[in-house]
Amino acid sequence: MAERCAVIGVGQTQHTSCRADVSIAGLVREAVDRALESAQLTMADIDAIVIGKAPDMLEGVMMPELWLVDALAAAGKPVFRVHTAGSVGGSTAIVAAQHVMSGVHKRVLTVGFEKQSDGNAMWALSVPMPFGMPVHAGAGGYFSPIIRSYIKRSGAPSHIGCMVAVKDRTNACRNPYAHLHEPDWTLEKAMASPMLWDPVRMVETCPSSDGAMALVLASEDVADAHDGPKAWVHATAMRSEPTAFAGRNQVSPRASEDCANDLWRKAGITSPIDEIDAVEMYVPFAWFEPMWLESLGFAPKDHGWRFVEDGVTEMTGRLPVNCSGGVLSTNPIGASGMLRFGEAAMQVMGIAGDHQVDSVRKAFGHAYGGGSQFFAMWVVGKDKP
Amino acid sequence: MSGGTSEYSIAADGSFTAPLELSYPYKRTVGPILSRFLTGLRDQRIEGTKGSDGRVHVPPAEFDPITGDHLTEWVDVASTGTIVTWSWQPAPVEGNTLQHPFAWALISLDGADTNLLHAVDAGSADAIKTGMRVTARWAAEPSGSITDIVCFDLTSGSPA
Repeated sequence: MAERCAVIGVGQTQHTSCRADVSIAGLVREAVDRALESAQLTMADIDAIVIGKAPDMLEGVMMPELWLVDALAAAGKPVFRVHTAGSVGGSTAIVAAQHVMSGVHKRVLTVGFEKQSDGNAMWALSVPMPFGMPVHAGAGGYFSPIIRSYIKRSGAPSHIGCMVAVKDRTNACRNPYAHLHEPDWTLEKAMASPMLWDPVRMVETCPSSDGAMALVLASEDVADAHDGPKAWVHATAMRSEPTAFAGRNQVSPRASEDCANDLWRKAGITSPIDEIDAVEMYVPFAWFEPMWLESLGFAPKDHGWRFVEDGVTEMTGRLPVNCSGGVLSTNPIGASGMLRFGEAAMQVMGIAGDHQVDSVRKAFGHAYGGGSQFFAMWVVGKDKP
Repeated sequence: MSGGTSEYSIAADGSFTAPLELSYPYKRTVGPILSRFLTGLRDQRIEGTKGSDGRVHVPPAEFDPITGDHLTEWVDVASTGTIVTWSWQPAPVEGNTLQHPFAWALISLDGADTNLLHAVDAGSADAIKTGMRVTARWAAEPSGSITDIVCFDLTSGSPA
């Protein structure tokens, strides 16, 4: 049995399309300072640092962890860099938790960041390779056929993606840190949003954001002594699979299903829909909400879209999903997964402010990356596991 | 953004090879500390930040290398200094501020505790030695860049 571990500090930056007022170091540090403040700790108290971000090509800064050592006050301490594409924020938090659960460290700082305005993530991720088909379509171009496949298989009506988008953009208005604050979305207006990658509309697509998210993870004795809100890590899971292989189900990848099943088993959860009170799920394109609801075991196959249509995933619904506004409202890629993990912890800690759901005892944080091939998930709870 | 090519070759063993050149536009946002440093250079002023141990960092450090604290205390340093070590550049490349042979040097500016990497217009490798004194030569049209210092000139013939 691993040692117990709890989130005792959460801090995020103001997210926006361009944080021209700060360097990458300053951006990271803004989140770190807020996480330390909420943990009532200083840099000197931290034993180890785990940092994550998406591909270095996004900002064109090779191995930023090398020159972030002073911004992370990491002199004389171990620093680890994690990289698993878009899921990196989630897997970084899990690696940090493992530093504690292994019994090696007592106070671990973890941070994920991206300064998308220093580059252009969509095209940095779509380098045309010799001998390959030059598609020039970006991430949306990769995922749109998968989304069409889900729509056809499930029989979902065409407005479901827009319903998710309107929900998340509306939720984001309750989150002061969110990048997009657009209170005026209606389903009708969303349906008129330009088609970017058929069948994905512009409103159903995440923005490009600058931002960072940091967490402080503590051992049981430190967390017990901490006079403040905390979220106990009940279970973590990670899985991977190749980008392409015969028979691959990209709508519900095997790695996603295996990861979720492993997580529920470790957390002792038999009915996720009944036992999880708040969900922060990685939804960069709106249609992924119903797709993941099914893949993760919250909804029966082909019924995820009915949850959306019936308002189950609204803030007031049975299973609130992305009350923070989610990736659809804020997407600093390397931080996006940790934002999901951290926002889930905030719901358990009762510090989510205007987007707080009542009486959250267990919350689920989720991230995926690459071509739907890297998965990272955790369950955090109010009570010790 | 560009990349990819149709110019491929086929080796005798039948294997295909193609060049791949990536060119991609980036931006840099330096934040408040380096922005102030660069503004100073435009006015022929070199500033550093003072660390927790009292040492002065030039170019300025945003965070203390020892404690990680935000550094906010500014110190003016001189535009004169001492060569700590150097390497001769016999064939300048495009973008170097000097287009004739010069020395790359680590320069300890008077009042600073870290070394600044810059060019020294020494004429020949025989003329430069560690310990020599140098002074900054400023650009006629400053732009808020480290190249607002064109190079450093030797101000004494013998090591200090």
